[in-house]
Amino acid sequence: MNEFEKLEAELKELRPLPPSDAFTARLQEALGDAGNVAMRCLPDQEDDASPDDFIKSTEKKGFSSRLLIFAGLGSLGLAAVWAAIFYLSSSLVPNGSSEQNDSANLLIAESGPVPEAPGAGLREDPDSPLHGISLKELQDVSVMPVSGWIDPQINERFLRRVDEGVFDRPGGLPATLLWTRPSGVIRHLICASSRPHHGKK
Amino acid sequence: MNIDNMNNEPIWKSWFARHGAKLLLFARQQSRRPDEAEDLLQEAFVRIWRLYGHTGEVAPGLVYRAIRRIAIDWARSIDRRKVREDKVALDSPLSFSFDRTLEQDERKQALLRAVERLPAEQKEVLTLKIWAELTFDEIARTLDESLNTVASRYRYALQKLKDWVPEEMQGKPEDSSSTAS
Repeated sequence: MNEFEKLEAELKELRPLPPSDAFTARLQEALGDAGNVAMRCLPDQEDDASPDDFIKSTEKKGFSSRLLIFAGLGSLGLAAVWAAIFYLSSSLVPNGSSEQNDSANLLIAESGPVPEAPGAGLREDPDSPLHGISLKELQDVSVMPVSGWIDPQINERFLRRVDEGVFDRPGGLPATLLWTRPSGVIRHLICASSRPHHGKK
Repeated sequence: MNIDNMNNEPIWKSWFARHGAKLLLFARQQSRRPDEAEDLLQEAFVRIWRLYGHTGEVAPGLVYRAIRRIAIDWARSIDRRKVREDKVALDSPLSFSFDRTLEQDERKQALLRAVERLPAEQKEVLTLKIWAELTFDEIARTLDESLNTVASRYRYALQKLKDWVPEEMQGKPEDSSSTAS
């Protein structure tokens, strides 16, 4: 037997004073609406309820259960609509025309080791200057940092730069520069420019 | 019974009726000044209830922990105040936090005086264990201490109380500054 059990029992007999009513009122004021968010009926008062009260409370419960049913049906309907939209979008996207597929394959063949078409998913990256290409993809294919525009000091490391002129892009500023890596076969669009239009060469 | 008599009350009131006294006792221990305890409890309770009250039930340990954190924050600002204010807190006995009907029970009064002499870190563990009824694990998390530390403090506190209560009853308490270690 624990040698302190008697002492613990004595200590537990000491009851701390409850907070004053004034303090409870202060709390109620401080809580504001947060104090009324969760409500419940105390169990002992439910036990004392008369049959009339029981009927009324049953009616209330019936009303809330109907509300629950409506809410559940509504949620199911929403879920069904979402599932249908998802199914349709996923089934339609791969079924493009064969011509489009052929041109895409040709593009990939020309591009060499590029892993995937950058705009395949048409995911918009708000930080990217290019429509449909995320900053990370841009970094992967351009071997340049995504943290901002290229430092002019870094530009000096490239052997050749070819300006292919200005062309419009859907939903973005016109791009001006195309870079050619020394290794050869890949051409990468890496930035959009605020330079004035020069027209195509 | 008329439906008007169905007393639907905010759930926080029944929650606070169960835990308020224990929380206030802990807040009194944690606050530097006696008049600050209610402010401390109000701040902690309102913060936690606004976060978790909508769930209908709040773990008391969260409020104890909030009380301690806020008390530490406040103590840092209070340190800039006058030393005289701290002196008031040191002079306020814990017995004022308990039922005054104990005054007729000599042993319980001696017990309270002995609790008063405990070092602060042992007193807070004792309070959380005995009156707040937290587990050692909950106490460790509330006080940011290890399980072994709080368990040791609790055992040391009980050992001291066991030794000191007879002294208090004889009216010969030792100097608390020499024993509170």
